[in-house]
Parts: sequence; C-alpha cells; structure tokens
Amino acid sequence: MSSTINGEPVIKVTNLTKIFRDFWRRPKVCAVDGLDLEVKRGEIFGLLGPNGSGKSTTIKILLGLLHPSSGEVSVMGASPCSVKAKSNIGYLPEESYLYPYLTAREALEFYGRLFDMTGTARKERISQLLNMAGLTREADRPVGEFSKGMARRVGLAQALINDPQLVILDEPTSGLDPIGCRQVKDLMLTLAQRGKTILLSSHLLADVEDVCDRVVILYKGRTRVCGRINELLEERESMRLTIPSLSPEKTKEVLALIRKAINQDPEIDRPSKNLEQIFIEVVKQAHKDSEESCPDSVAEYLSSD
Amino acid sequence: MKLKIKQFLAITGLTAIEAIHQPIFLLLSATCILLISLTPQLLVHQFGEEGKLARDSGLAFHFVFGLFIAGYAACSSLARELRGGTASAVLSKPVSREVFFLAKFTGVVSAVIAFSICAAIATLLSERIVLKFYDTPELLGYFRDKLIGWLFLAVPFAAFLAAGVINYVKRRPFGSMAFGFLFVALCAVLVTGGFFNIKGELAPFDLRVEWRILPVSLLITFALIVLSAIAITLSTWFSTVPTMVICSLVFIIGLMSDYLFSGKHTIVSSPAVGAFIYRILPNWQYFWIADALNGGGIVPAGYIVDTAIYALVYSAGVLFLGMLLFRHVEIK
Repeated sequence: MSSTINGEPVIKVTNLTKIFRDFWRRPKVCAVDGLDLEVKRGEIFGLLGPNGSGKSTTIKILLGLLHPSSGEVSVMGASPCSVKAKSNIGYLPEESYLYPYLTAREALEFYGRLFDMTGTARKERISQLLNMAGLTREADRPVGEFSKGMARRVGLAQALINDPQLVILDEPTSGLDPIGCRQVKDLMLTLAQRGKTILLSSHLLADVEDVCDRVVILYKGRTRVCGRINELLEERESMRLTIPSLSPEKTKEVLALIRKAINQDPEIDRPSKNLEQIFIEVVKQAHKDSEESCPDSVAEYLSSD
Repeated sequence: MKLKIKQFLAITGLTAIEAIHQPIFLLLSATCILLISLTPQLLVHQFGEEGKLARDSGLAFHFVFGLFIAGYAACSSLARELRGGTASAVLSKPVSREVFFLAKFTGVVSAVIAFSICAAIATLLSERIVLKFYDTPELLGYFRDKLIGWLFLAVPFAAFLAAGVINYVKRRPFGSMAFGFLFVALCAVLVTGGFFNIKGELAPFDLRVEWRILPVSLLITFALIVLSAIAITLSTWFSTVPTMVICSLVFIIGLMSDYLFSGKHTIVSSPAVGAFIYRILPNWQYFWIADALNGGGIVPAGYIVDTAIYALVYSAGVLFLGMLLFRHVEIK
C-alpha cells in the first residue's frame, strides 16, 4: 500500500447527484445520490459496490463524460470538463474500447498523438508500454483480433501513455490471467509510490484488498461505508499470533498456557500460501526453463522519477 | 493551438480510415463504379446527344451512391463511437468536444472526397468510351472505345482480386486495400487510355476526356459534404437508423423545395412560413446541373464559386448547431 499520501485532495466530490432522464426529460434512474468523496494525492482509492451502484457513473462524471444533476466535482483542482486537467489523467474504461482495425502500436500511436509529447518520447513510451504489456511480438496485429485479456493490456497501456498524475481504472484486471493481475497490482503500487493517485473500481475484492489504502462501498448511488481498508477489515475482538512450527509437546504446552490466560480454547491453524502466489511461482519457473524473456513488470518511464 | 491541430489531424485521419474500412463503403463504391462502367457498354443509341446518357448516368450514380456513403459514414462514425465506447476513451484525453466533432466531420468528408474522385474518374472514362459518331479521314460511323471499355469493366474485379491476394499474403485489411486498388486502377486506366486511339492502337498521348464534367462532379461533392454535415449533426442525438431516415427526408424534401415551398404551387398557406422552410432546407437543385453540359455547354466559374459559398455557409451553420448539441451530449 502507498506510503506517499499527502493531504492535498486530487478528487473532491460534494453532494453529487446524477439522475438519468428519459427522452421526455422525466427522471428515470437516480444513479448517484448525494455522494461525498475525497481522494488524496498518492492514494490508491477503491470504489466498490454491486452492479448498478453508481461506480461507473461517478467515474464518467469525474472525466466530464457525464454531467452531474447537482453537486460539486473537482478533479486536480479544476472542473471535470477542463481539457487541461485531462492531460494529467489516465483512464482505463470498463471495456477496452479500441479501434479494431488499428494494430496495437497504431492504437498507442493514436492515443499518444492526443497529448503534448514529442515523436521521439512517444515512440520510446510506446515501445516500453508494449514490452510492459507483453505485446511486443503482437504489436503489429490488429487489436480486433486480440483476446479480451490482450485488448485489456492495450487499454491499460493507452491509459498510461501520458504518465498521468491521476489514474482511473475501471475493472483493470477483468479478463487478465493471474500474472497479468499481479502485474497490474504491482503497477498500481509502483505508481502510488511515485506519488500518483489511483482510483480503482473493481468487483474483485481480493485485488482491492491487496492494493487499496482506502475504499468506499456504494449501494444505489449512496455511500454505505468509507474508510481505511485495514481499519475496516480489522477484527478487534480477536488476534492472531504467528510463530515457527513447534513440536506436538511444545504446542500442547503453549496452548495450555494460552487457555489458562484467556480461559477458553484458542484456535490453531497453519498459514497457507494463496493460489495466486503458487501460480506465479510456477509460471515464472516455466519462463526460466524455456529461456523466454519475461516482459518488464512496469515500463521504465513509469517507475523512474 | 499546435496540440489542437495535432489532435484534429490524428482524429481526422483515423475517422477517414475507419470509414473506408467499413464493408458498406467498399460495397457502395465498387457497385457505383461497376454501374458507371457498364452504362456505356449497354447504350446503343445516343439520340443526337453524344455521351449525354453515359455522362448523366455517371453523375447520377455519383450523386445517389455518394448520398448513401456520406449519410452512412457520417452517422455511423459518430453514433457508433458514442454508443460503442471509443468516444469515451478519446474524450477522456485532453481533447475538446469541438475538436472531436469537427475532426469526425473532416474525416468523413475526406472519405467522401476519395469516393467522389473515383466516381469522377469513372464518369470521365464512361463518357470517353461510349458509342460515338466519328467522321474523320480514318473513321466514319459509330465507334466504341472497346479496349478501354473492357479495361474499365475489369477495374472492380481486379481491385478485389489484388486486395484478396494482399489480404492472404500480408494480412492487410481487405476493405481499405480494395478501395485503394480501385482508386489506383481507375487512375491507371485513365492514363493508359491516353496512349491508345479509338481503334485500340498505340497513338500519341491524348486522354480524350470531357474535362467539363469535373465541375459538375465538384458540385455533387459539395452536396455530399452538406449531407455529411447534416448527418453528423443529427447523429449527436440519434442512432444510425433515425439519422438515415431524417437524412432521406431532408434529401427528398430538399429536392422538391422549389416546388413545395416557393412559387404558386406551394403547400404552405403562409408565405412567411414557406419562405422560412425554403431557406433552412438545403436546396439540392443547386448542386445538380448536369443539363448545363448539353450541347457542349460548361458550368460557369461564378456558379461554382456561388455554390461553394452556399455549401460552406450551410455546412458551417449545421456544424455550429451540431457542436452546440454535442457539448451537452452525455457519453455513457
């Protein structure tokens, strides 16, 4: 989790309401209802909630794609519609909306041209991003032929082409294999360490738990819970003690001691690895055995100050 | 400003390529060229007007197919992007809605101009090869330019074949390659024709085409640009089908606006209302003046300038309205 958070808010949302209307301007759905939100610089902030809870609507309002019905929204100190503010934002949409006839390189070239950067810098970044996304070999294939996971990687690369200060990721790990998911999480942590702010919307709670500093849980457009993730997850009524493996005799002695101290039977289990760790170890070993070069986990320009 | 121009050019280029990639674009373009190339082969009488039927048919195909291409390309390029999500990816970058909208229009117009060039070359060729009466020391009677006629007929098939081979060997997209080959093949037939006389024998270079057809083609292109502006403005709020329906109505009513809204046959009881509708509807009759070529006539330069100004002002007005509408569009 990020250690570079400072007090400056990058996103400030006050009493935001969004009502979608039908053709006759009658209210149809209230997607966001009086939402208050503050995301600080260097923070990884999770936006959680079931389908239809208003996560994507909130994100689209932050990007100026939708107009709020009421309330105040400020992104990097400016209106969400401000073109200048958008030059410091990277956005990965829920679906990888890409032009199917363009190759991966052409797609990144196109998005790169929308920012103020030199041709040399653009080409350098595209090369690093393609390597990071593991798409160097597929760079000249049309993205319309890509699998969902590969298209997602191109989508992520386009979101980072401008080395943004604020990265908004809508379901970034959807469609990715476990290695890709781990890479995305490492990327988020690296970016946050560099003082970048990340707003993450995801249904994969394990991903959110791994990387987020704070989360908000939305339901029907309203905030239900908001706070630091470790505080929300902490069970104050019990604690876990992790010690090296003991012989059965020693274990009995320790348990007896604890039983005497707390006056009830303690639970005992062995810590286990999760499936993600095992999968990554196996695939990394397979990569080494086949002497294939591993892609960079993070593009050079994204990890250097 | 420099960045805005860079963004404008990037989006324009992409829109033009996307429009040309669409199978419907290739299908309509190739059908139009094929019909123009078939017309002189099927005509056996001139009714005293050398080349008139071939010329008029070519220009009519250019206009009708162009209207479909312009309407479809314009509304699908914006409506498809808005509903497909690619617009949200682009507009989340530092691109203003005005730049995006105008670049989309310019991209569509670029594709329409590419089609118009092909249709204009095809019409020139069609008029050249049609059956004509010759009374020269070498020739006397009706003759058709058979060699160029056959080459012209082969153009769409050759373009499809070449694109198929490239698609198989190099995996390049078929649609845009076929259109590219169509354009190159038409130019090649036009230039090759210059080296042959009516009997198909090598001769000193002479293209033998009626260049006075080009101003009429240019006026048709202006009409297509106006229709693109209308279609792209409508597609800020409507999806492809309603936009196409409204465009068709605007075209049909605009074609009859001289009859319906002005003069003694007007269907509107109030002259002020009639005059207002007459002013706001595009008058397509301004753009269709193929009859001016009859009897060796030409289109006066002043008329072309006036019509260009009319098309420019009309398109600018429609696009201004489109920009205002697009500013408030919600991109879901």
